[in-house]
Amino acid sequence: MSKNPSNLKNIDRLIHEPTRLMIMTQLYVVESADFLFLQNQLQMTPGNLSSHLSKLEEAGYVEIVKEFIERKPHTALTLTKKGRDAFNGYRKNIKKVLEDTHPRELETGL
Amino acid sequence: MKKTNLREVEKRTYMSYHQDGLLDIFVGIYVLLFALGILLMTVTDFSTWFVIPAIFPAIMIPIWISAKKRITMPRIGYVKFGVRGANKLMAVFLGLVVAGLGVFMVFGLGASRGQGWAVTLRNLLISNGMIIIGIGAASISSLFAYTMGLKRLYAYGLLVLALFFTGHFTTIPFGYFLLAIGLVIIINGFVILMRFTRKYPLPQGDETNVEKSL
Repeated sequence: MSKNPSNLKNIDRLIHEPTRLMIMTQLYVVESADFLFLQNQLQMTPGNLSSHLSKLEEAGYVEIVKEFIERKPHTALTLTKKGRDAFNGYRKNIKKVLEDTHPRELETGL
Repeated sequence: MKKTNLREVEKRTYMSYHQDGLLDIFVGIYVLLFALGILLMTVTDFSTWFVIPAIFPAIMIPIWISAKKRITMPRIGYVKFGVRGANKLMAVFLGLVVAGLGVFMVFGLGASRGQGWAVTLRNLLISNGMIIIGIGAASISSLFAYTMGLKRLYAYGLLVLALFFTGHFTTIPFGYFLLAIGLVIIINGFVILMRFTRKYPLPQGDETNVEKSL
């Protein structure tokens, strides 16, 4: 177990969900991407991707912009400043939790 | 468990944008133009044929961008890379432009004006045969492979090295080896493009209903 269980409370559960974590990670490494690109990269169905994106948008982590590129509708997705900060915070917190967890302590029950 | 780090995700994202074979086709055409320049120079003894590959990158970039917009983006979507990704791409293009201009200056302008350094460099390259050029070309190819994370560019580098090494021991003109390399790269590019269009068919309609609901 983690030496300090309160660290677990700091984990952002919205990001901690594996699919949303993948979305956040993908958007973190680019400036912006569209719906189709994200769908292809993450091998997700449109419905699944859409529902997770809506949750991330509600939290203010992802900005969804409808625009036209060469007269074609296009959904651009960008990680907001809040989203980037939340992702960095999540990485820091999860690292801390894992660092505090020693497998030997689990084995011996100490 | 496979370790996932952000640099790896970034690299994979960047590589996914070059799985369409367009880069191979354009690089192949570039090599073919070099071959054509050399072969025409041999026939006509007119060194300014090297202007063709020298100006090619300037013509190629808008065509390449247009091909990306028409073939790649409608299939795999649109992504805007950050500054680091853009810098990488810019470095590749600048590398091509510098290489083209360098060859143009050395062989075209310098040698035709009888400048000592250009003639010496040309003679040095010619006297040491195709091995030097092969090593140089393979190194450039490997550099691009490393920068862009495209492993097949290492294979092209090896192909260039093998062919040029063979060429050193034969009497077949240099231009024909370049011609062969260019053709191999172009054919491979088209094979990759065909696989890409099969793997990623054009989505029906401009926007899915689910996407519209967002």
